[in-house]
Amino acid sequence: MKRVTEILKGIRPEFDFTTSQDFIRDGMLDSFDMVMLVSSLDRAYSISIEGVEIIPENFKNLQTIEALLRKHGVQQ
Amino acid sequence: MKSIYAIHEVFDAIQRAKAEASSFTTNCFPNNRKLQDWIDRGELFAETFGCTALFGRVDRDFWHLYFCAPDHQQLHAALTNLPELRTERFVVDLIGVAASLEPLLSIFQSTAFRRYKSLYRMARAAEQPQPPTTPADERIGLAHKKDSQTILDLICQSFDKYAEQLPVLSEIETATECHQILAARNGESIAGLLYFEDQGFTSTVRYWLVDRRFRDRGFGSALMRYYLHRPSPVRRFILWVIADNLHAIAKYRQHGFAPEGLLDYVLANEMIPP
Repeated sequence: MKRVTEILKGIRPEFDFTTSQDFIRDGMLDSFDMVMLVSSLDRAYSISIEGVEIIPENFKNLQTIEALLRKHGVQQ
Repeated sequence: MKSIYAIHEVFDAIQRAKAEASSFTTNCFPNNRKLQDWIDRGELFAETFGCTALFGRVDRDFWHLYFCAPDHQQLHAALTNLPELRTERFVVDLIGVAASLEPLLSIFQSTAFRRYKSLYRMARAAEQPQPPTTPADERIGLAHKKDSQTILDLICQSFDKYAEQLPVLSEIETATECHQILAARNGESIAGLLYFEDQGFTSTVRYWLVDRRFRDRGFGSALMRYYLHRPSPVRRFILWVIADNLHAIAKYRQHGFAPEGLLDYVLANEMIPP
């Protein structure tokens, strides 16, 4: 979880992602940020997140991102 | 293309494309409020080809094209088979980081689209609130609903309708009611404006302009200072700027904005003159 938080912080240093349960509603990430986040996660974990997975539900908060990573075999 | 009457028609189409996807591709990031506005105004249409959906949104005398396709091959086939692309004016926005857009760019360029403009996104963080060191600028305040037509005229004169997603009158009226447009006044005239949208901790500058008649009098900077330092929970400011508008880019940099690597390639079909 800490690594994901660091990646998010790298993209949006001005936000504290540990305090929100809905990054989209709170304006911390938008659809375009998700594209950048996916590139960072792919690189960091050597995975390939599919286009079909780039939907707000998967990037709503730290728990949903972690669940997505688990689907790709990443253990936090 | 056929009219869309309900939001679920859009989401159903996206879901069908996703269900069959090997490499899902889209430029459609729907926001329920905007979708509903388009549907209410009768602006949204769609055509499906297998699991690929093409959406057209009427804007003045041209169309914005949105797509969701299971893969690039099916997207190419759908574009080739949409008859309106040969008779109507269309633009399409491809948004992402440069390398990821190249395959899509090739598909559209092989179906009679060409590069029209490029935009990139700039951002800045909010500063810690500080007590004002100068008196409030009395020229700056919220725009009123009765200003809406003037605001629309100024926006249409100052921005590119194909590349910059210009609003319609009713959107401007709503924005004034939601306190999302700042106006700089010179007597009875609106000398400039800054139109923005807040979403949680992020605020987007949609349009920032000064009427030609009032340039070089500090209206633009006064508007931006007022916007950036108004009391709000916003921690991040973003905007899109046309990549070759060096004058605007220089102004944004002066106010602390910097590019963040996200691009919007606006492509136009052959019906739109170069």
